[in-house]
Amino acid sequence: MRLQDIAQVIRSKNAGPRKLTLDVMFADDADYRRVASSGALNASRIATLYGLEAQDVAVIEYPLGRAIKITMPRRLTSGDPGDRDVYGAQQHTPLLGIEL
Amino acid sequence: MSAVARVRAQFEGAGRRRSIRLLGASGQLGYGIPTPAFEAGLAREPDLIGCDMGSTDIGPSYLGRGEMATAPDATRRDLRKVLLGARRKNIPLVIGSAGSAGAAPHLDATLAIVREIARAEGLHFRLGVLRADIPKPVLHAALRAGEVRSFDASPPLTEEDIDAASNIVAQMGTSAMQRALAADVDVVIAGRACDTAIFASLPGMIGFPMGLAVHMAKIIECASLCCVPGGRDSILATLDEDGFELESMAPQRRATPVSVAAHSLYEQGDPYTVSEPEGRLDLREARYEAIDDRRTRVTGARWQEASENWVKLEGARLVGERAVLLAGAADPRFIARAETILAEVAEVVRELVCENTPQDYSLFWRVYGANGVRASVPPGEAPPNEVFILGECIAPTRARAAEVVRTMKQYLLHHGYPGRQSTAGNLAFPFTPPEVSIGPAYRFNIYHLMRAHDLDALFPLEVEML
Repeated sequence: MRLQDIAQVIRSKNAGPRKLTLDVMFADDADYRRVASSGALNASRIATLYGLEAQDVAVIEYPLGRAIKITMPRRLTSGDPGDRDVYGAQQHTPLLGIEL
Repeated sequence: MSAVARVRAQFEGAGRRRSIRLLGASGQLGYGIPTPAFEAGLAREPDLIGCDMGSTDIGPSYLGRGEMATAPDATRRDLRKVLLGARRKNIPLVIGSAGSAGAAPHLDATLAIVREIARAEGLHFRLGVLRADIPKPVLHAALRAGEVRSFDASPPLTEEDIDAASNIVAQMGTSAMQRALAADVDVVIAGRACDTAIFASLPGMIGFPMGLAVHMAKIIECASLCCVPGGRDSILATLDEDGFELESMAPQRRATPVSVAAHSLYEQGDPYTVSEPEGRLDLREARYEAIDDRRTRVTGARWQEASENWVKLEGARLVGERAVLLAGAADPRFIARAETILAEVAEVVRELVCENTPQDYSLFWRVYGANGVRASVPPGEAPPNEVFILGECIAPTRARAAEVVRTMKQYLLHHGYPGRQSTAGNLAFPFTPPEVSIGPAYRFNIYHLMRAHDLDALFPLEVEML
């Protein structure tokens, strides 16, 4: 099963112009626990998908919101010459196919 | 008696305070405030109306150029709506991050609209104006004193960065906003401000717990975005000594414990803490309980006062003039070789427009359908049937940028490559001219923290009678 088959929300957005934050949210507690306990969303795996070092990626579990948050530095500061996504709202797609 | 004084008077005296009601009218003033929910909110007799008007999400251009992101007519319509509502109810109106980026040109443009509305509608009120611009000598002095820090790993600030920035603002917090409210005003319009300051300042000065007030503010500054389904309708928060209740003023939007808790994730790197100039919000003990299927009660947020005040700075500098080329392509052989072709055309153009001088412009290709959004394409992905090519040039002058993209258009159209069959032209132009001059391009060159020894001096207040 891939992450996109179980998550209700998989989204990305800037958290300030220098960071990207991704939220994976679930419809119920069981789905949340299943993914959180699987360890599939770990820093080193996500770092590989985004071409970063594991120490740059923070994975924060947030059970009250049935969500897992992933925060990482942006490749370029938002709006710098050459940026492709000023709001950072379309950088979630590498997560979609993560196998659980 | 001003609106602020009238509201504050209701909370004076001994005994248990009543709860305070705050109406989050808009998370982005200037993009439309739905009237039914706003009017439903006013009918609930709120003690304050707040609107956020800006952020850095929109990128560096607005801060750099000194222009609003919202359309003037839409901005006027929203300002008129909230001003009339606040004056009708005689309650304070607080607007933060005026004009999208909150620097002097944005604030002044917002104030001009407010004055125009007041004249046209015959409104009279005391207006508090808080400025957020950081004078360059102040920042130079802070830098030399070692009182500027990088933020989110921003490169160390230089003297040159300061000199080059076209606008520099700092985010004000509750202390600035409270100074304006204490000046006995009816309306506060602030330059760049923390969105929490808009809503937490009045409850804080009345004596409500700061942790709860800031947490509430963090949620309602986005109007009904914390609901399912999320939306831009006004939201009402009712704050007491132990917690706060949230209720969207649009009947179809439900504030549920999960939807409200999840809002702490939105555009925040960490859902458990929020840092502000005056302190830090700790949400580790926050709890969310349903009152009914449309309302949620929130408790448990804690506030930790800062021992030193640091403000977040934002600055943008000009990097050149931007021009773009817009074109499509559908030929499979062209698409398969697009990356190579674009690099070859860039080289051809460079030789033509630079001859023997160094390249004085930057060129960026984005091939939509392939790598327009993602910097790299995962291996094994099938090639697209069509692509859209955005060629971007940033050059020292508008004329130079236009020259580069016009030349680029011609040579990309006719570039030959091995196996080419479509020898009459490589590109489909949706219209001509396909080259567009965008105007000046900016980047954020200041995103740092500065120690503030005197927050009051940093965010001066002016009071104006309208």
